[in-house]
Amino acid sequence: MLRTSGFSHFTKYCEYSSIRVLGCKRRGLLMNCGRLSGLNNNLSVAFSKSVFQSCSEAKSRVFSLPYSSGARHPVSDTVKHLGKNSLSYSFQNKRPYSEGSSKPTSTPLIKLRTRLIVTCLLGVGILGTWYYLHSEKEKKLQLQRIEQLKKVAIGQGDFNLVDHTGKPRTKKDFFGHWVMMYFGFTHCPDICPDELVKISNVVSILDEDKTLPPVQPIFISVDPERDDVEAMAKYVKDFHPRLLGLTGTPEQVKEAGKAYRVYYSTGPKDEDNDYIVDHTIIIYLLNPDGLFLDYYNRSKTEENIAESIKKHMKTYVKLFT
Amino acid sequence: MTAPNANERRVCWGARDQLWRCLDENKDDVSQCQKLQREFESSCPAQWVKYFSKRRDYLKYKEKIQTEGFEPLDSSAKS
Repeated sequence: MLRTSGFSHFTKYCEYSSIRVLGCKRRGLLMNCGRLSGLNNNLSVAFSKSVFQSCSEAKSRVFSLPYSSGARHPVSDTVKHLGKNSLSYSFQNKRPYSEGSSKPTSTPLIKLRTRLIVTCLLGVGILGTWYYLHSEKEKKLQLQRIEQLKKVAIGQGDFNLVDHTGKPRTKKDFFGHWVMMYFGFTHCPDICPDELVKISNVVSILDEDKTLPPVQPIFISVDPERDDVEAMAKYVKDFHPRLLGLTGTPEQVKEAGKAYRVYYSTGPKDEDNDYIVDHTIIIYLLNPDGLFLDYYNRSKTEENIAESIKKHMKTYVKLFT
Repeated sequence: MTAPNANERRVCWGARDQLWRCLDENKDDVSQCQKLQREFESSCPAQWVKYFSKRRDYLKYKEKIQTEGFEPLDSSAKS
């Protein structure tokens, strides 16, 4: 037969079926349908499983066949048989077959599937481990930060102020509530109104989520000379309905300001005794234990702040309940 | 005197914004925006007018530094 490409075609009847099939023989590798079809040195083999269009397809079919357990592999049989008959065909040494146990035609398939499954499981395992470690680390970081904040001891002192309805308030009144605190004054040109609008919007955003506890916004005046109870009442009603205004005597306000490290300084008075109070522009977040947890400056948007507060709330629930 | 309420604040800010827009268009030539300047000064408390003027100067200066760069002061020079 011709050995131009190592493949040669011929037709033959398969012994196990009456299908006329194209058989194919490659150098050293024979495919058969279970039994040699008994010829002289022109061995022909045919595949009983299906009709092949070409030899390459036949070859690929051979290697994709599922190998049913128990049956002896046709090819290795052939090889053994051929070995005994000592035919003139040279066997490919590239594919050594061990007797009996190896399943060359179906091994690659199983290997690939198993490999894929194992890889996927490993991948999932690694991702899961990473995620778990990551969340543990985040929790640890949060705890560390809380420890640091405790050390800084902002807002440790108590305050004694009066709210905009005239009721006296101390820090203990707000235990059990999340608090957003802002220091400002009613004669503020633009910054305090902007920040209070921001706080109101953050509270509204958080209110939308019914699973979260309500946040109490508080506005403390750093201008007690002018901002009495009446002035505070008039001012806070332009913002969120829950916004509570706090004021007091200059000493009380000074004490509260010191506890929260708030800088404020009255500016020069003009002809009609108007003045601007310079002050730190910071929104403080206090947790239900009254502990200062976080702060937000002018660059933080409503969404930033709402997200941050949500995160703090989740951590608080996890750690302290 | 009581602080401006929300409406009064809004009116003041509107006047300020109009004035600033006019100044931007006229390259800070105050003579072109006299009418808006007067309106601004009547809508806002005196302290606020001073504050907003200073703020505008600051914003312009900041813009200048950001676009044109600046020369750091000599340590011996007095500010």
